[in-house]
Amino acid sequence: MFALARLEMRRMLSDKRFLILMLALPIFMYLLFTNVFGANQRAYGLDQDVSLMISMAAYGAIGAALMATAPRIAQERTNGWLRQLKVMPISAGQTIAAKMLAALAWAVPAIVLVDVTAVLAHGVSMPAWRWLAIGGLLWIGTAPFAALGAWIGYLTDDSAAFGVMYGVYIFLGAVGGLWMPVSILPSVLRHIAVALPSNRFAELGWNIAAGRAPSMSGIAILAGWLVLFTGLAWLGYRRANALR
Amino acid sequence: MTEHAVDFLGVTRTFGAVRAIDAINLTIDRGETVALLGPNGAGKSTTVNLLLGLLSPTAGTVNVLGTSPHDAVSAGRVGAMLQDGGLMPGVRVAELIDFARSLHAHPHPRGDLLDDAGLTDIATHRVDRLSGGQAQRVRFALAIAGDPDLLVLDEPTSAMDVAARRAFWAHIRHYAARGRTVLFATHYLAEADEYADRIVVVSAGRIVTDGTPGEIKAAAGGRAVRFTIGHDSTAGLDLLPGVTAVEMHGAAVTLRTTDAEATLRALFASRDRVPDIEVSGADLEDAVLTLTR
Repeated sequence: MFALARLEMRRMLSDKRFLILMLALPIFMYLLFTNVFGANQRAYGLDQDVSLMISMAAYGAIGAALMATAPRIAQERTNGWLRQLKVMPISAGQTIAAKMLAALAWAVPAIVLVDVTAVLAHGVSMPAWRWLAIGGLLWIGTAPFAALGAWIGYLTDDSAAFGVMYGVYIFLGAVGGLWMPVSILPSVLRHIAVALPSNRFAELGWNIAAGRAPSMSGIAILAGWLVLFTGLAWLGYRRANALR
Repeated sequence: MTEHAVDFLGVTRTFGAVRAIDAINLTIDRGETVALLGPNGAGKSTTVNLLLGLLSPTAGTVNVLGTSPHDAVSAGRVGAMLQDGGLMPGVRVAELIDFARSLHAHPHPRGDLLDDAGLTDIATHRVDRLSGGQAQRVRFALAIAGDPDLLVLDEPTSAMDVAARRAFWAHIRHYAARGRTVLFATHYLAEADEYADRIVVVSAGRIVTDGTPGEIKAAAGGRAVRFTIGHDSTAGLDLLPGVTAVEMHGAAVTLRTTDAEATLRALFASRDRVPDIEVSGADLEDAVLTLTR
């Protein structure tokens, strides 16, 4: 399983779409938004330099998790690699676990690169334990998005997977309050936003940075999405295999 | 280790109303190289997929190396090249081979494996940039990475040109020569004739015949007598001694016969002229056509 996970991680290095869209783009957006909107803006009870750092770290982590799962599972279903793995001494569970490990592993640089950019560009500083707590929570919180990506991967074929995934990704980012604060969204979207996993995911970091206790309802909502997406991914897996 | 390599006991597999495999009994001993031969849709891939545990039988039992297909595959004792199997894109050939080796406790040595599959020169190539024949060799390497007791190949040479096909079979022979069991499905008669010790002919989900290439040719009715009949009547030709079938191809007629000499004597006795006559041994293609008709 670890050999497969290592191969999965290695493979993302040669994936230019991933490197540009999921690692570089959040950094670019962070620098753009913090410089365009002015230094005195505040959101989620934080200076914009900090709130956007967390938003974009979350956005990059979500992207890494989706990219490691959805388009690859769809591609490997289409080209027969997943079928080849079934006649090798590795179980279906191990195959999926390797993908999840790769998704989580690539969330780390996505988070760290944005944090480093914030420190270098805007001198963001906070106690070491907060850095670790924010990074750690954002890392673990990536799990629902890996499950979402797996579901998309089993639902769509090779030609559609990336488009569907990217549409979902943009929706989660824009409506989830990662691109701009939820408070400036129209009221209908505000109600949707606080139910989205992306919003509750970034909220983990916003609360710690602002010195607030974690939101229990937020964690419950995130856990609910994790259960739902895992169940849907499992159904998709069953359906894809029953077709054979 | 006296167990058979493969045991199918009364195995049926249906897809809806279609019986893809119909009450098949098949035993393959260790060390045999067996061809599963038949036209497309005969049930070859279904048989292979049952053998690998990718499908479950509707009825009957499949045993592989004395255990269930799933357990045999999980233990790394079976290697397979699937017809619709693929490779992981975005990595290099050697990386993929190393991954396959890491799944086995006693893998095929790395250098030997690259050599045996003809991959030494392309070890650093990206998997998704290989030609059809090269990709097929990588799949072969994945199949033999664990030095399996049973090697299963489903239409292994369909993406290859003639030269690549010949080189590929040399690798398989080399592997089989170490006492391993090889089962391959093919619709190329020449491949079955040349590379298998034993041919199992399947048609419409059933085993039509099973034997050495020589036995199958003999079973299909020995010889063929051809001549040009023009506009003459064919009446009575089927009554000549030894004749089992009469086939027309335009102005030419072919008599299938179990006793060419008797057929010829009677033919000359009954006709003034027998132009363009020739007698040939039935080739395997004729044999299979006769048997699957």
